[in-house]
Amino acid sequence: MGSAELLQFAVAGLKNGSIYALVALGFTLVFGSTGIINFAQGEFFMLGGMLAVFFVKLGLPLPLAVVAGVLATAVVGLAFERVALRPRRDSGPLALIIITIGGSMVLRSLSRHAFGGNELSLPAFTEGASIVVAGAAIERQALWVWGLTIVAVAGLSWLYSKTRFGRSMRACSLSHEASRLMGIDTARIVMVSFGLAAVLGALAGVVVAPLTQTSFNVGARIGLKGFAAAILGGLGNPIAAVVGGLALGLVESMSIAFISSTYKDVIALVLLLVVLFVRPEGILGRATREKV
Amino acid sequence: MGRKALAIAMATVLCVAGLTLGGCSDESRSDSSGLEPYKIGVVVSLTGSYSGLGVPEKKAIELEAELLNEAGGINGRMVELFFEDDATDAAKAAAAATSLIEREGVIAVIGATGTGQTMAMRTDIDRAAVPQVSMAGGSVVTADFDELVFQTPWPNRVVVPFTLNALAAKGITRIALISDSGGYGADGHDVVLASAAAAGVEIVADETFNLGDTDMTAQLTKMRSQSPDAVLMWTAGSEAAIVAKNMQQLGFDVPLVGSPGNGRVEFLDGAGSAADGFSFAAGKILLPEAYGEGSEAFTVATEFIDRYTERYGTAPDIFAGHAYDAFLIIADALGRVDGDVTPAALRDAIEATDGLIGVGGTFSYSADDHNGLSETDLVMYRVDGGQWVLDE
Repeated sequence: MGSAELLQFAVAGLKNGSIYALVALGFTLVFGSTGIINFAQGEFFMLGGMLAVFFVKLGLPLPLAVVAGVLATAVVGLAFERVALRPRRDSGPLALIIITIGGSMVLRSLSRHAFGGNELSLPAFTEGASIVVAGAAIERQALWVWGLTIVAVAGLSWLYSKTRFGRSMRACSLSHEASRLMGIDTARIVMVSFGLAAVLGALAGVVVAPLTQTSFNVGARIGLKGFAAAILGGLGNPIAAVVGGLALGLVESMSIAFISSTYKDVIALVLLLVVLFVRPEGILGRATREKV
Repeated sequence: MGRKALAIAMATVLCVAGLTLGGCSDESRSDSSGLEPYKIGVVVSLTGSYSGLGVPEKKAIELEAELLNEAGGINGRMVELFFEDDATDAAKAAAAATSLIEREGVIAVIGATGTGQTMAMRTDIDRAAVPQVSMAGGSVVTADFDELVFQTPWPNRVVVPFTLNALAAKGITRIALISDSGGYGADGHDVVLASAAAAGVEIVADETFNLGDTDMTAQLTKMRSQSPDAVLMWTAGSEAAIVAKNMQQLGFDVPLVGSPGNGRVEFLDGAGSAADGFSFAAGKILLPEAYGEGSEAFTVATEFIDRYTERYGTAPDIFAGHAYDAFLIIADALGRVDGDVTPAALRDAIEATDGLIGVGGTFSYSADDHNGLSETDLVMYRVDGGQWVLDE
């Protein structure tokens, strides 16, 4: 295998990996402030793409349609938290997780009825042939995927470490009760987390739609990959989500290169199990020590 | 008083429910002769992954049944349809078959949209001995033979050899295969491997992807290292457009050849300029002039296309065509039954179908062939400037 080919496999892996990473960031964000896994995260991905297509069809220019698609999904994320989750917030994590599963089904069905059952296309952000670097072809849209991933992870890291709001979010992840006693508006934090998670999911959805087309049922599969990436990296930390996503993408593409495309998902998931066995907290996760 | 109010409320609810439920059947039962209508059950995927196929199927059958009833039905009896949505779920398809047979007492079942759903209905079909005409393209539907089950699309075991022969005729003999790991792709994959030698082609690479995958450049990079003459892709969903675009992006400049499942406008939209030069085998409904203008098959196909386009505003795709054929086969057989129309008599009449011209081809069933189509019903298409043209 030549070095150009190896590089091409790496490009493919990093491209898919960044998509997983963007979805994983959404999982991590909601987990960080609520301690639950939001299984509707994949549907935010789906809505981002579908709504952007919808706005393009309304006649908006592409950049505006993309922004509108992301913002509309954010509104859905906020509304989802307010309508479906907040009334049951004292029911414990299991009930809330099941609500997110139900919510994902509702969002999928609504999208199916609003936008139809067929796949829809979104134009590429920048037209043109792919860029060839050292014999490996890189799609222009892949540059957008990487760019947005970098912006998203930098933004989140800044939010977490440098802002008062981010510190409140981290406090929430340790204890809602204590945070509330310290004067943090936990309800607001949770709602904003869902809004931000929806933005991240939708960003991934709109940036991927020109590559793959989109349809009402793309959410579940990408949600599963994003979830695996978040677990692999370690839940609750944006850098870890990105590491997990890229690792998953690279393992998949190298499995195709050196073993077999038939088993790429099996290999990726076995690796996930091995990592969880050796390091249950994920590659970069911090072990939580229960103090008695 | 409270109890009386409750009774009134319940009676109202029952009336309303009765009106809405009974409403549909009353409408289609509007025959003057007073004879019982022929009840036909239809199982299609109106939701779930195959909804893009099931919805046009339902539209085509509704349109044709309406036309038939307006023209006086069959032997003076109307046709009454009962639709069930299987949600692209095998278990729901089986439940739908049970309900149609037990509750509605249908004499034939059209469906399902997908291969898995079709196979899931077989237990009920066999138990009740009701004939079934499937619109699914999996080879297994008729290869796993059942005397009650018929099929309208061209199965892979007909399409694959046709496609490979067409490639061999062009001197394309080193073929790299990429297929999805789902039912349609896996079935096509097995048939390609089994029929390659007979067609005189060599499969030099064999890669798969999963439905929902977002990028196939890794598989294509691996295939390119085998320097094939062409890439053969067997899949029906949105991933087909990704393969075409990834090839263009990699500069992997060999012909891409697909399956009838790619004869969809969504593929052309999704692949854009990457679809140019793409070729695939399918029936002649996409371009009825392939039948030869003036031929009877041309007339049948264009009339259906015009009628469907006028009613629904879009031209029928190949799936609407499969549904048209399924309904036509049953209606034709009903007209040929002598004496009492029982499911058994109807089955025999369907098996006796000979030279029936549908939009997917000319159907001739026999005791050991329940697909009834041959390679002469297929033609190669090529995409040129975002449109299908005949590939000579």
